[in-house]
Amino acid sequence: MNVADLPMAVFTVLAQMSVGAFLVLGAVQVLARTVGGRSAEQVDRLTDPILYAVGASLVLGFAASALHLGNPINALNVLRNLGSSWLSAEIALGIAFGALGLLFTLLQHFKRGSLALRQALASVTAVVGLSLVAAMSMIYYSVDIAPAWSTWATPVQFLTTTVLLGALAVGTALMATILVRRRADAAQAAGSEEQAEDLALITTTLKGVAAVSVTMLGVIFLVTPLQLNLLSQGGPAAVESAQVLSGAWFVTRLVLVFLGAGLMGLFIYRFATVTREDPRPLATVVSVAFGLVLVGELIGRTLFYESMTRIGM
Amino acid sequence: MSERLGFYFDQTRCTGCKACQIACKDTNDLPVGVLWRRVAEYAGGSWRTHGRTFSPQVFAYYVSMACNHCDDPVCTEVCPTTAMHRDDDGVIVVDEELCVGCRYCEWSCPYSAPQFDADAGHMTKCDLCADERAEGREPACVLACPSRALDWGPIDELRAAHGDIDAVEPLPDGSVVQPNLVIKPHRDAEPVGAGRGSIANPEEV
Repeated sequence: MNVADLPMAVFTVLAQMSVGAFLVLGAVQVLARTVGGRSAEQVDRLTDPILYAVGASLVLGFAASALHLGNPINALNVLRNLGSSWLSAEIALGIAFGALGLLFTLLQHFKRGSLALRQALASVTAVVGLSLVAAMSMIYYSVDIAPAWSTWATPVQFLTTTVLLGALAVGTALMATILVRRRADAAQAAGSEEQAEDLALITTTLKGVAAVSVTMLGVIFLVTPLQLNLLSQGGPAAVESAQVLSGAWFVTRLVLVFLGAGLMGLFIYRFATVTREDPRPLATVVSVAFGLVLVGELIGRTLFYESMTRIGM
Repeated sequence: MSERLGFYFDQTRCTGCKACQIACKDTNDLPVGVLWRRVAEYAGGSWRTHGRTFSPQVFAYYVSMACNHCDDPVCTEVCPTTAMHRDDDGVIVVDEELCVGCRYCEWSCPYSAPQFDADAGHMTKCDLCADERAEGREPACVLACPSRALDWGPIDELRAAHGDIDAVEPLPDGSVVQPNLVIKPHRDAEPVGAGRGSIANPEEV
Protein backbone atom coordinates (compact mmCIF):
# COMPACT_ATOMS: atom_id res chain seq x y z
CA MET A 1 0.00 0.00 0.00
CA ASN A 2 1.30 3.39 -0.99
CA VAL A 3 0.54 6.32 1.32
CA ALA A 4 1.02 8.80 -1.53
CA ASP A 5 -2.16 7.41 -3.13
CA LEU A 6 -4.26 8.06 -0.02
CA PRO A 7 -5.49 11.59 -0.89
CA MET A 8 -6.97 10.37 -4.17
CA ALA A 9 -8.34 7.22 -2.53
CA VAL A 10 -10.01 9.27 0.22
CA PHE A 11 -11.38 11.75 -2.32
CA THR A 12 -12.86 9.19 -4.70
CA VAL A 13 -14.25 6.95 -1.95
CA LEU A 14 -15.81 9.81 0.05
CA ALA A 15 -17.26 11.51 -3.03
CA GLN A 16 -18.74 8.20 -4.19
CA MET A 17 -20.09 7.53 -0.70
CA SER A 18 -21.77 10.96 -0.73
CA VAL A 19 -23.42 10.25 -4.06
CA GLY A 20 -24.45 6.78 -2.86
CA ALA A 21 -25.89 8.12 0.40
CA PHE A 22 -27.90 10.72 -1.52
CA LEU A 23 -29.25 8.01 -3.83
CA VAL A 24 -30.11 5.71 -0.93
CA LEU A 25 -31.85 8.55 0.92
CA GLY A 26 -33.89 9.14 -2.22
CA ALA A 27 -34.78 5.45 -2.37
CA VAL A 28 -35.77 5.51 1.31
CA GLN A 29 -37.99 8.55 0.66
CA VAL A 30 -39.72 6.98 -2.32
CA LEU A 31 -40.14 3.50 -0.84
CA ALA A 32 -41.20 4.62 2.63
CA ARG A 33 -43.92 6.86 1.20
CA THR A 34 -45.24 4.59 -1.53
CA VAL A 35 -44.70 1.00 -0.34
CA GLY A 36 -44.47 1.83 3.37
CA GLY A 37 -47.29 4.37 3.35
CA ARG A 38 -45.38 6.67 5.71
CA SER A 39 -46.00 10.39 5.93
CA ALA A 40 -43.59 12.79 4.23
CA GLU A 41 -43.18 14.52 7.57
CA GLN A 42 -41.99 11.36 9.29
CA VAL A 43 -39.56 10.38 6.54
CA ASP A 44 -38.16 13.92 6.37
CA ARG A 45 -37.69 13.91 10.14
CA LEU A 46 -35.30 10.99 9.76
CA THR A 47 -33.60 11.71 6.44
CA ASP A 48 -33.07 15.49 6.62
CA PRO A 49 -30.27 15.38 9.24
CA ILE A 50 -28.38 12.88 7.10
CA LEU A 51 -28.21 15.39 4.24
CA TYR A 52 -25.80 17.47 6.34
CA ALA A 53 -23.53 14.45 6.78
CA VAL A 54 -23.61 13.81 3.03
CA GLY A 55 -22.44 17.39 2.42
CA ALA A 56 -19.74 17.13 5.06
CA SER A 57 -18.35 13.95 3.55
CA LEU A 58 -18.27 15.51 0.07
CA VAL A 59 -16.43 18.59 1.37
CA LEU A 60 -13.99 16.36 3.26
CA GLY A 61 -13.37 14.41 0.06
CA PHE A 62 -12.63 17.55 -1.91
CA ALA A 63 -10.27 18.74 0.84
CA ALA A 64 -8.40 15.42 0.62
CA SER A 65 -8.11 15.73 -3.16
CA ALA A 66 -6.24 19.02 -2.74
CA LEU A 67 -3.50 17.11 -0.88
CA HIS A 68 -2.78 15.21 -4.09
CA LEU A 69 -2.13 18.37 -6.07
CA GLY A 70 1.41 19.65 -6.49
CA ASN A 71 0.18 23.22 -6.57
CA PRO A 72 -3.26 23.52 -4.93
CA ILE A 73 -3.18 27.32 -5.37
CA ASN A 74 -3.96 26.69 -9.03
CA ALA A 75 -6.87 24.39 -8.13
CA LEU A 76 -9.49 26.53 -9.87
CA ASN A 77 -7.65 26.10 -13.16
CA VAL A 78 -8.85 22.50 -13.34
CA LEU A 79 -12.11 23.76 -14.84
CA ARG A 80 -10.33 25.25 -17.86
CA ASN A 81 -10.39 22.18 -20.07
CA LEU A 82 -14.05 21.19 -19.93
CA GLY A 83 -15.09 19.19 -22.95
CA SER A 84 -11.70 17.53 -23.31
CA SER A 85 -10.43 16.47 -19.90
CA TRP A 86 -12.45 14.04 -17.79
CA LEU A 87 -10.77 15.54 -14.76
CA SER A 88 -12.30 18.93 -15.53
CA ALA A 89 -15.66 17.20 -15.93
CA GLU A 90 -15.22 15.39 -12.63
CA ILE A 91 -14.57 18.58 -10.67
CA ALA A 92 -17.36 20.49 -12.45
CA LEU A 93 -19.85 17.69 -11.72
CA GLY A 94 -18.57 17.42 -8.15
CA ILE A 95 -19.20 21.14 -7.59
CA ALA A 96 -22.60 20.89 -9.30
CA PHE A 97 -23.57 17.91 -7.13
CA GLY A 98 -22.47 19.77 -4.00
CA ALA A 99 -24.27 23.00 -4.97
CA LEU A 100 -27.52 21.27 -5.94
CA GLY A 101 -27.35 19.13 -2.81
CA LEU A 102 -26.84 22.22 -0.68
CA LEU A 103 -29.78 23.97 -2.32
CA PHE A 104 -31.97 20.91 -1.77
CA THR A 105 -30.86 20.63 1.86
CA LEU A 106 -31.68 24.30 2.49
CA LEU A 107 -35.12 23.95 0.89
CA GLN A 108 -35.76 20.82 2.97
CA HIS A 109 -34.53 22.47 6.14
CA PHE A 110 -36.71 25.54 5.80
CA LYS A 111 -39.49 23.62 4.02
CA ARG A 112 -39.46 26.13 1.20
CA GLY A 113 -40.85 25.38 -2.24
CA SER A 114 -43.50 22.82 -3.13
CA LEU A 115 -42.96 19.12 -2.55
CA ALA A 116 -42.91 18.57 -6.32
CA LEU A 117 -40.19 21.21 -6.76
CA ARG A 118 -38.06 19.66 -4.04
CA GLN A 119 -38.54 16.19 -5.49
CA ALA A 120 -37.56 17.43 -8.94
CA LEU A 121 -34.45 19.11 -7.49
CA ALA A 122 -33.52 15.92 -5.65
CA SER A 123 -33.90 13.90 -8.85
CA VAL A 124 -31.65 16.29 -10.78
CA THR A 125 -29.10 16.18 -7.94
CA ALA A 126 -29.13 12.39 -8.03
CA VAL A 127 -28.57 12.33 -11.80
CA VAL A 128 -25.69 14.81 -11.47
CA GLY A 129 -24.26 12.63 -8.69
CA LEU A 130 -24.38 9.55 -10.90
CA SER A 131 -22.74 11.57 -13.68
CA LEU A 132 -19.99 12.47 -11.21
CA VAL A 133 -19.32 8.77 -10.57
CA ALA A 134 -19.37 8.18 -14.33
CA ALA A 135 -16.85 11.00 -14.97
CA MET A 136 -14.62 9.65 -12.19
CA SER A 137 -14.69 6.24 -13.85
CA MET A 138 -13.87 7.74 -17.23
CA ILE A 139 -10.74 9.46 -15.89
CA TYR A 140 -9.23 6.05 -15.27
CA TYR A 141 -11.05 4.03 -17.92
CA SER A 142 -9.71 6.35 -20.64
CA VAL A 143 -6.05 5.81 -19.70
CA ASP A 144 -5.52 3.29 -22.51
CA ILE A 145 -1.96 2.46 -21.48
CA ALA A 146 -2.98 1.27 -17.99
CA PRO A 147 -4.46 -2.24 -18.34
CA ALA A 148 -5.68 -2.28 -14.72
CA TRP A 149 -7.72 0.88 -15.27
CA SER A 150 -9.04 0.70 -18.81
CA THR A 151 -11.43 -2.19 -18.20
CA TRP A 152 -15.17 -2.40 -17.56
CA ALA A 153 -14.24 -3.28 -13.98
CA THR A 154 -13.42 0.37 -13.21
CA PRO A 155 -16.95 1.79 -13.61
CA VAL A 156 -18.46 -1.33 -12.01
CA GLN A 157 -16.18 -1.05 -8.98
CA PHE A 158 -16.83 2.67 -8.59
CA LEU A 159 -20.57 2.11 -8.77
CA THR A 160 -20.32 -0.75 -6.27
CA THR A 161 -18.43 1.47 -3.82
CA THR A 162 -21.04 4.18 -4.36
CA VAL A 163 -24.01 1.96 -3.54
CA LEU A 164 -22.39 -0.16 -0.83
CA LEU A 165 -20.90 2.68 1.19
CA GLY A 166 -23.90 4.91 0.52
CA ALA A 167 -26.26 2.29 1.96
CA LEU A 168 -24.15 1.54 5.02
CA ALA A 169 -23.50 5.24 5.65
CA VAL A 170 -27.23 5.95 5.59
CA GLY A 171 -27.86 2.98 7.90
CA THR A 172 -25.27 4.25 10.37
CA ALA A 173 -26.55 7.82 10.16
CA LEU A 174 -30.13 6.66 10.80
CA MET A 175 -29.03 4.83 13.94
CA ALA A 176 -27.06 7.88 15.05
CA THR A 177 -30.14 10.05 14.50
CA ILE A 178 -32.37 7.77 16.57
CA LEU A 179 -29.81 7.58 19.38
CA VAL A 180 -29.48 11.37 19.53
CA ARG A 181 -33.27 11.71 19.48
CA ARG A 182 -33.64 9.13 22.23
CA ARG A 183 -31.25 11.01 24.44
CA ALA A 184 -33.04 14.30 23.78
CA ASP A 185 -36.46 12.71 24.32
CA ALA A 186 -35.34 10.97 27.49
CA ALA A 187 -34.34 14.36 28.88
CA GLN A 188 -37.78 15.72 28.09
CA ALA A 189 -39.55 12.43 28.87
CA ALA A 190 -41.69 12.78 25.76
CA GLY A 191 -42.25 11.57 22.21
CA SER A 192 -42.19 7.83 22.86
CA GLU A 193 -44.89 7.10 20.27
CA GLU A 194 -43.05 9.07 17.61
CA GLN A 195 -39.91 7.24 18.59
CA ALA A 196 -41.48 3.82 18.15
CA GLU A 197 -42.78 4.85 14.72
CA ASP A 198 -39.33 6.04 13.70
CA LEU A 199 -37.68 2.90 14.96
CA ALA A 200 -40.07 0.80 12.90
CA LEU A 201 -39.18 2.75 9.77
CA ILE A 202 -35.49 2.50 10.57
CA THR A 203 -35.53 -1.26 11.08
CA THR A 204 -37.29 -1.71 7.74
CA THR A 205 -34.72 0.55 6.09
CA LEU A 206 -31.87 -1.36 7.72
CA LYS A 207 -33.16 -4.61 6.28
CA GLY A 208 -32.96 -2.97 2.88
CA VAL A 209 -29.46 -1.69 3.64
CA ALA A 210 -28.40 -5.20 4.64
CA ALA A 211 -29.87 -6.70 1.47
CA VAL A 212 -28.11 -4.09 -0.69
CA SER A 213 -24.82 -4.70 1.14
CA VAL A 214 -24.90 -8.43 0.59
CA THR A 215 -25.77 -7.90 -3.08
CA MET A 216 -22.88 -5.46 -3.57
CA LEU A 217 -20.58 -7.91 -1.79
CA GLY A 218 -21.64 -10.47 -4.38
CA VAL A 219 -20.75 -8.01 -7.17
CA ILE A 220 -17.28 -7.44 -5.65
CA PHE A 221 -16.65 -11.16 -5.37
CA LEU A 222 -17.76 -11.57 -8.98
CA VAL A 223 -15.76 -8.69 -10.46
CA THR A 224 -12.52 -9.60 -8.67
CA PRO A 225 -11.83 -13.00 -10.27
CA LEU A 226 -13.05 -11.85 -13.68
CA GLN A 227 -10.73 -8.83 -13.62
CA LEU A 228 -7.77 -10.85 -12.35
CA ASN A 229 -8.36 -13.38 -15.09
CA LEU A 230 -8.41 -10.60 -17.68
CA LEU A 231 -5.20 -9.01 -16.36
CA SER A 232 -3.26 -12.24 -15.98
CA GLN A 233 -3.88 -13.01 -19.66
CA GLY A 234 -2.56 -9.61 -20.74
CA GLY A 235 0.94 -8.29 -21.33
CA PRO A 236 3.70 -7.76 -18.73
CA ALA A 237 2.13 -4.50 -17.45
CA ALA A 238 -1.22 -6.23 -16.93
CA VAL A 239 0.38 -9.17 -15.15
CA GLU A 240 2.22 -6.80 -12.81
CA SER A 241 -1.12 -5.12 -12.02
CA ALA A 242 -2.68 -8.50 -11.28
CA GLN A 243 0.02 -9.16 -8.70
CA VAL A 244 -0.89 -5.99 -6.79
CA LEU A 245 -4.55 -7.01 -6.95
CA SER A 246 -3.89 -10.40 -5.39
CA GLY A 247 -1.39 -9.45 -2.69
CA ALA A 248 -1.83 -9.45 1.10
CA TRP A 249 -3.38 -5.96 1.22
CA PHE A 250 -5.93 -6.95 -1.39
CA VAL A 251 -6.89 -10.03 0.60
CA THR A 252 -7.18 -7.80 3.69
CA ARG A 253 -9.54 -5.55 1.77
CA LEU A 254 -11.72 -8.48 0.66
CA VAL A 255 -11.85 -9.88 4.20
CA LEU A 256 -12.85 -6.51 5.67
CA VAL A 257 -15.58 -5.96 3.11
CA PHE A 258 -16.78 -9.54 3.59
CA LEU A 259 -16.96 -9.10 7.37
CA GLY A 260 -18.67 -5.72 7.09
CA ALA A 261 -21.09 -6.21 4.22
CA GLY A 262 -21.55 -9.97 4.46
CA LEU A 263 -21.35 -11.19 8.03
CA MET A 264 -22.53 -7.96 9.63
CA GLY A 265 -25.12 -7.64 6.88
CA LEU A 266 -26.66 -10.93 8.03
CA PHE A 267 -26.60 -9.75 11.64
CA ILE A 268 -28.30 -6.51 10.68
CA TYR A 269 -30.97 -8.33 8.72
CA ARG A 270 -31.62 -10.64 11.70
CA PHE A 271 -31.50 -7.98 14.43
CA ALA A 272 -33.55 -5.47 12.48
CA THR A 273 -36.56 -7.80 12.33
CA VAL A 274 -37.14 -7.35 16.04
CA THR A 275 -38.19 -3.95 17.33
CA ARG A 276 -36.05 -3.78 20.39
CA GLU A 277 -36.42 -1.51 23.33
CA ASP A 278 -32.80 -0.51 23.24
CA PRO A 279 -31.52 0.30 19.72
CA ARG A 280 -27.89 0.55 20.86
CA PRO A 281 -26.73 -3.00 20.01
CA LEU A 282 -28.16 -2.60 16.52
CA ALA A 283 -26.45 0.78 16.20
CA THR A 284 -23.16 -0.82 17.16
CA VAL A 285 -23.48 -3.59 14.60
CA VAL A 286 -24.43 -1.16 11.83
CA SER A 287 -21.61 1.27 12.55
CA VAL A 288 -19.02 -1.51 12.86
CA ALA A 289 -20.19 -2.87 9.50
CA PHE A 290 -19.87 0.60 8.00
CA GLY A 291 -16.41 1.09 9.51
CA LEU A 292 -15.13 -2.26 8.23
CA VAL A 293 -16.40 -1.62 4.72
CA LEU A 294 -15.10 1.96 4.68
CA VAL A 295 -11.59 0.86 5.66
CA GLY A 296 -11.80 -2.05 3.21
CA GLU A 297 -12.83 0.22 0.36
CA LEU A 298 -10.11 2.76 1.18
CA ILE A 299 -7.49 0.00 1.09
CA GLY A 300 -9.02 -1.28 -2.14
CA ARG A 301 -8.88 2.16 -3.71
CA THR A 302 -5.23 2.79 -2.80
CA LEU A 303 -4.48 -0.59 -4.40
CA PHE A 304 -6.43 0.53 -7.46
CA TYR A 305 -3.91 3.36 -7.82
CA GLU A 306 -0.97 1.13 -6.98
CA SER A 307 -2.05 -1.44 -9.57
CA MET A 308 -1.58 1.12 -12.32
CA THR A 309 1.31 -0.20 -14.39
CA ARG A 310 1.68 1.35 -17.79
CA ILE A 311 2.48 0.06 -21.23
CA GLY A 312 5.34 1.99 -22.82
CA MET A 313 8.39 3.42 -21.13
CA MET B 1 1.14 26.49 -37.55
CA SER B 2 4.72 25.94 -38.51
CA GLU B 3 6.01 22.56 -39.58
CA ARG B 4 5.97 19.91 -36.85
CA LEU B 5 9.32 19.26 -35.22
CA GLY B 6 10.41 15.84 -34.08
CA PHE B 7 13.27 13.52 -33.17
CA TYR B 8 15.15 10.89 -35.12
CA PHE B 9 16.71 8.01 -33.20
CA ASP B 10 19.16 5.66 -34.87
CA GLN B 11 18.92 2.59 -32.68
CA THR B 12 21.66 0.80 -34.59
CA ARG B 13 24.15 3.35 -33.31
CA CYS B 14 23.04 3.75 -29.70
CA THR B 15 25.42 2.21 -27.16
CA GLY B 16 23.33 3.12 -24.12
CA CYS B 17 25.92 5.59 -22.77
CA LYS B 18 23.21 8.06 -21.66
CA ALA B 19 25.20 11.13 -22.70
CA CYS B 20 21.91 12.48 -24.18
CA GLN B 21 20.12 12.02 -20.87
CA ILE B 22 22.88 13.75 -18.90
CA ALA B 23 23.32 16.58 -21.41
CA CYS B 24 19.56 17.20 -21.21
CA LYS B 25 19.62 17.17 -17.44
CA ASP B 26 22.56 19.55 -17.34
CA THR B 27 21.35 21.99 -19.99
CA ASN B 28 17.86 22.21 -18.53
CA ASP B 29 19.11 22.13 -14.95
CA LEU B 30 16.73 19.33 -13.94
CA PRO B 31 16.38 18.34 -10.28
CA VAL B 32 16.96 14.85 -8.91
CA GLY B 33 14.17 12.52 -10.04
CA VAL B 34 13.32 14.45 -13.19
CA LEU B 35 14.55 13.20 -16.55
CA TRP B 36 13.26 14.74 -19.74
CA ARG B 37 15.21 12.18 -21.76
CA ARG B 38 15.67 8.62 -20.60
CA VAL B 39 17.52 5.63 -22.04
CA ALA B 40 15.90 2.25 -21.49
CA GLU B 41 17.66 -1.04 -22.05
CA TYR B 42 15.23 -3.53 -23.49
CA ALA B 43 16.42 -7.11 -23.18
CA GLY B 44 15.14 -10.63 -23.44
CA GLY B 45 15.83 -13.96 -25.01
CA SER B 46 14.76 -17.43 -25.97
CA TRP B 47 16.38 -20.61 -27.33
CA ARG B 48 17.42 -21.53 -30.81
CA THR B 49 17.28 -25.22 -31.71
CA HIS B 50 19.54 -27.00 -34.18
CA GLY B 51 18.46 -30.60 -34.26
CA ARG B 52 19.05 -31.76 -30.70
CA THR B 53 21.13 -28.75 -29.72
CA PHE B 54 19.81 -25.70 -27.90
CA SER B 55 21.72 -22.43 -27.95
CA PRO B 56 20.75 -19.13 -26.35
CA GLN B 57 19.23 -16.49 -28.58
CA VAL B 58 19.29 -13.22 -26.72
CA PHE B 59 18.74 -9.60 -27.56
CA ALA B 60 19.41 -6.27 -25.87
CA TYR B 61 19.06 -2.81 -27.30
CA TYR B 62 18.55 0.75 -26.14
CA VAL B 63 15.68 3.17 -26.57
CA SER B 64 16.45 6.84 -25.97
CA MET B 65 13.19 8.65 -25.42
CA ALA B 66 12.13 12.22 -24.70
CA CYS B 67 8.90 13.92 -25.77
CA ASN B 68 7.73 13.22 -29.30
CA HIS B 69 5.54 16.34 -29.48
CA CYS B 70 2.75 14.12 -30.81
CA ASP B 71 0.26 15.20 -33.46
CA ASP B 72 -2.54 13.78 -31.32
CA PRO B 73 -1.13 14.34 -27.82
CA VAL B 74 -2.95 12.61 -24.98
CA CYS B 75 -1.29 14.92 -22.41
CA THR B 76 -2.98 18.08 -23.73
CA GLU B 77 -6.26 16.19 -24.07
CA VAL B 78 -6.39 15.05 -20.46
CA CYS B 79 -4.83 18.12 -18.82
CA PRO B 80 -7.62 19.76 -16.82
CA THR B 81 -5.97 23.18 -16.72
CA THR B 82 -4.80 23.58 -20.36
CA ALA B 83 -1.32 24.11 -18.87
CA MET B 84 -0.15 21.36 -21.20
CA HIS B 85 -0.45 22.92 -24.64
CA ARG B 86 1.11 23.21 -28.06
CA ASP B 87 3.36 26.21 -28.42
CA ASP B 88 3.47 28.49 -31.45
CA ASP B 89 6.30 26.44 -32.95
CA GLY B 90 4.33 23.19 -32.62
CA VAL B 91 6.23 21.93 -29.57
CA ILE B 92 4.23 20.65 -26.58
CA VAL B 93 5.08 22.60 -23.42
CA VAL B 94 3.76 23.15 -19.87
CA ASP B 95 2.55 26.54 -18.71
CA GLU B 96 3.84 26.42 -15.16
CA GLU B 97 1.56 29.29 -14.15
CA LEU B 98 -1.50 27.19 -14.96
CA CYS B 99 -0.38 23.69 -13.94
CA VAL B 100 -1.99 22.33 -10.79
CA GLY B 101 0.29 19.30 -10.52
CA CYS B 102 -2.44 16.64 -10.68
CA ARG B 103 -0.17 14.33 -12.73
CA TYR B 104 -2.98 13.12 -15.02
CA CYS B 105 -0.68 13.76 -18.04
CA GLU B 106 1.99 11.62 -16.40
CA TRP B 107 -0.45 8.72 -16.12
CA SER B 108 -1.54 9.06 -19.73
CA CYS B 109 1.70 9.51 -21.68
CA PRO B 110 3.18 6.22 -22.94
CA TYR B 111 6.62 7.87 -23.28
CA SER B 112 6.74 9.30 -19.71
CA ALA B 113 7.43 12.70 -21.25
CA PRO B 114 5.62 14.80 -18.61
CA GLN B 115 7.76 14.66 -15.48
CA PHE B 116 6.66 15.90 -12.07
CA ASP B 117 8.91 18.31 -10.21
CA ALA B 118 7.90 17.63 -6.60
CA ASP B 119 9.60 20.72 -5.17
CA ALA B 120 8.08 23.10 -7.71
CA GLY B 121 4.71 21.31 -7.52
CA HIS B 122 4.11 21.25 -11.25
CA MET B 123 4.83 19.19 -14.34
CA THR B 124 7.87 19.77 -16.51
CA LYS B 125 8.87 18.34 -19.87
CA CYS B 126 11.13 18.46 -22.90
CA ASP B 127 10.57 21.63 -24.92
CA LEU B 128 13.04 20.53 -27.58
CA CYS B 129 15.57 22.86 -25.90
CA ALA B 130 13.61 26.00 -26.72
CA ASP B 131 16.29 28.24 -25.18
CA GLU B 132 19.06 26.58 -27.18
CA ARG B 133 17.07 26.75 -30.41
CA ALA B 134 16.35 30.44 -29.78
CA GLU B 135 20.12 30.98 -29.77
CA GLY B 136 20.49 29.03 -32.98
CA ARG B 137 21.92 25.95 -31.29
CA GLU B 138 20.69 22.36 -31.48
CA PRO B 139 18.97 20.45 -28.66
CA ALA B 140 21.49 19.29 -26.03
CA CYS B 141 20.74 15.57 -26.44
CA VAL B 142 21.36 15.66 -30.19
CA LEU B 143 24.66 17.51 -29.74
CA ALA B 144 25.87 15.27 -26.94
CA CYS B 145 25.50 11.86 -28.62
CA PRO B 146 28.99 10.48 -29.31
CA SER B 147 27.72 8.11 -31.98
CA ARG B 148 25.40 10.65 -33.60
CA ALA B 149 22.37 8.45 -33.01
CA LEU B 150 20.02 11.39 -32.44
CA ASP B 151 18.80 14.10 -34.76
CA TRP B 152 15.93 16.55 -34.76
CA GLY B 153 14.14 18.80 -37.21
CA PRO B 154 10.97 19.15 -39.27
CA ILE B 155 9.39 15.71 -39.10
CA ASP B 156 8.70 15.59 -42.85
CA GLU B 157 12.41 15.96 -43.57
CA LEU B 158 13.30 13.30 -40.99
CA ARG B 159 10.75 10.90 -42.47
CA ALA B 160 11.97 11.58 -46.03
CA ALA B 161 15.51 10.76 -44.97
CA HIS B 162 14.93 7.88 -42.55
CA GLY B 163 11.50 6.33 -43.16
CA ASP B 164 8.46 6.34 -40.92
CA ILE B 165 8.93 3.69 -38.25
CA ASP B 166 7.84 5.26 -34.97
CA ALA B 167 7.74 2.31 -32.57
CA VAL B 168 9.55 -0.85 -31.50
CA GLU B 169 9.26 -2.65 -28.16
CA PRO B 170 8.83 -1.41 -25.45
CA LEU B 171 7.13 1.59 -27.07
CA PRO B 172 3.40 1.45 -27.80
CA ASP B 173 1.92 1.50 -31.28
CA GLY B 174 2.23 5.05 -32.60
CA SER B 175 -1.19 5.12 -34.22
CA VAL B 176 -2.94 6.45 -31.12
CA VAL B 177 -0.92 9.56 -30.32
CA GLN B 178 0.89 10.08 -33.67
CA PRO B 179 4.37 10.79 -32.30
CA ASN B 180 6.74 12.97 -34.31
CA LEU B 181 9.42 10.34 -34.04
CA VAL B 182 11.43 8.34 -36.54
CA ILE B 183 13.33 5.25 -35.42
CA LYS B 184 15.92 3.30 -37.36
CA PRO B 185 15.40 -0.03 -35.58
CA HIS B 186 18.16 -2.10 -34.06
CA ARG B 187 18.96 -5.37 -35.82
CA ASP B 188 17.22 -7.30 -33.03
CA ALA B 189 14.44 -4.80 -32.36
CA GLU B 190 11.26 -6.55 -31.31
CA PRO B 191 7.95 -5.58 -32.91
CA VAL B 192 5.46 -3.60 -30.84
CA GLY B 193 3.49 -5.76 -28.44
CA ALA B 194 5.72 -8.84 -28.83
CA GLY B 195 6.26 -8.87 -25.07
CA ARG B 196 9.26 -11.18 -25.20
CA GLY B 197 11.58 -8.87 -23.27
CA SER B 198 11.54 -6.40 -20.44
CA ILE B 199 13.14 -3.10 -19.51
CA ALA B 200 16.36 -4.14 -17.80
CA ASN B 201 16.95 -0.81 -16.04
CA PRO B 202 13.51 0.20 -14.72
CA GLU B 203 15.08 2.17 -11.85
CA GLU B 204 16.80 4.43 -14.38
CA VAL B 205 13.80 5.30 -16.51
